[in-house]
Amino acid sequence: MSGEVPRRVGASVDHDVCVGHGGCRRVAPTAFRRTALGQSEFVEAHEEPDAGILEAAANCPVAAITVRVEESGAPRNQ
Amino acid sequence: MQHIDLDDLFAADAIRDPHTFFGRLRESDPVHWNARHQVWIVTRHADVISIVRDHDAFSSAVIRSDARPPYPPLDVTGLTLLDEVRCFRGAQLVEQDPPRHHAMRRLLHHYFTPPAIEALRPFVRAAVTELLDELGTGRPLDVMTALAAPLPVTVIAHLMGVPEAHRPQLREFADKLLHINRGEPDRFTPLVDGIRSILEYVAPLAESRLESPGQDFISVLTEGERTGVMSRYDVLVNCALLLFAGHETTMNLIGNGILALIRHPEEWEKLRANPEQMTRGATEECLRFDPPVKSTQRIAAADVTLGERTIRKGDRIRWIMTAANRDPSAFPEPDRFRIDRRPNPHVSFGGGIHFCLGAALARVEGQELFRALAERVSTIELETREPEYQPSIQFRSLRELRVTLQ
Repeated sequence: MSGEVPRRVGASVDHDVCVGHGGCRRVAPTAFRRTALGQSEFVEAHEEPDAGILEAAANCPVAAITVRVEESGAPRNQ
Repeated sequence: MQHIDLDDLFAADAIRDPHTFFGRLRESDPVHWNARHQVWIVTRHADVISIVRDHDAFSSAVIRSDARPPYPPLDVTGLTLLDEVRCFRGAQLVEQDPPRHHAMRRLLHHYFTPPAIEALRPFVRAAVTELLDELGTGRPLDVMTALAAPLPVTVIAHLMGVPEAHRPQLREFADKLLHINRGEPDRFTPLVDGIRSILEYVAPLAESRLESPGQDFISVLTEGERTGVMSRYDVLVNCALLLFAGHETTMNLIGNGILALIRHPEEWEKLRANPEQMTRGATEECLRFDPPVKSTQRIAAADVTLGERTIRKGDRIRWIMTAANRDPSAFPEPDRFRIDRRPNPHVSFGGGIHFCLGAALARVEGQELFRALAERVSTIELETREPEYQPSIQFRSLRELRVTLQ
């Protein structure tokens, strides 16, 4: 399913702010992974639709996720 | 040197100055087996972070899983009330593990994100203005009853859709419920009185929201009953939890924060010079320096190594925010109160899946109050010689804080 959805957003997680709540990993499990310290980091080669990443960012309890829109808006990694 | 009993968690020294008391443990035995209370005491920042981010090994279902008797010991009446307390606490969101925890938190979580709470800032700001207008300047007042309690009670009552006239009642319930983390052998008597009263109080409110839902958190929780996530009892218990946790802790942020600002006049001047810019950092530093919640609990779900210790499955653990927040390996000059400290990775809201649901709300309340004070008041004079604290292992609650605003 997700392979057919054009991916146009990326994200980054601020590790000074992330508290390891992990909601992003539950909402967008291929786009965020757990670091050794229990925080989240963004995975560039993922299979989430944009909506999942946006939802993960919106639901972060400490607003640690910054979403970036890719300039071209073209699908990547396909 | 005077002998200090580091296992007496309710000693006068531990209540008066938990920074020094638990700081000693952090430096001498950071993962300490407290033989008296049969509990691990964890004080280092890195160890606290590992605990809160590993919910598989460190379960939150403490009350239901704990085979050891409560500490300190209860009187005979207390023992007869133990099942009722277990039932109440065991139904709280904070005592759940996944997957049940996630299902319950999902009902509420999106209302408490920073952007969602930001929309509430104008309401909080107006409430602060109204409170400070009423108080005026030049006469002594008790911060706890005049400012620290009314602001968060107003905000949580608004969010829960509780009538304004009922607010004084909320404080009465809270005073009884606070006994949960006290040391008196007869503490369960007032506690259970508080539990029964608050459940009785919220029952008709929940009933009416089930019939006609509104825009409030009681309605959100009753939705959980409608969708089968929670029973009616769970709804009532968690309404009580939001009403209580939603104000008791913020009250302490305000009281302890104002005291820290009074005791550090150079930092108060920094805040006054630029309230709008500095209030966020000031709020974070108040949270770090003298956290509203001193400690909380977990129970080991498996054998696990922490530092140089092996914690056995079923062992209970108390982790101390107060000590972790002053750990020199996480914070340069940890005993200095600096409102421009950055980064400030304090653990006052915990972390991991149980990261405080109300953190963003508490932050906005602190930011708005400290900012308004700095804009309107030139000095806060302390009228309390030696502030006294409630003898709780969990909450850092001033009994009173008498000041004059100038």
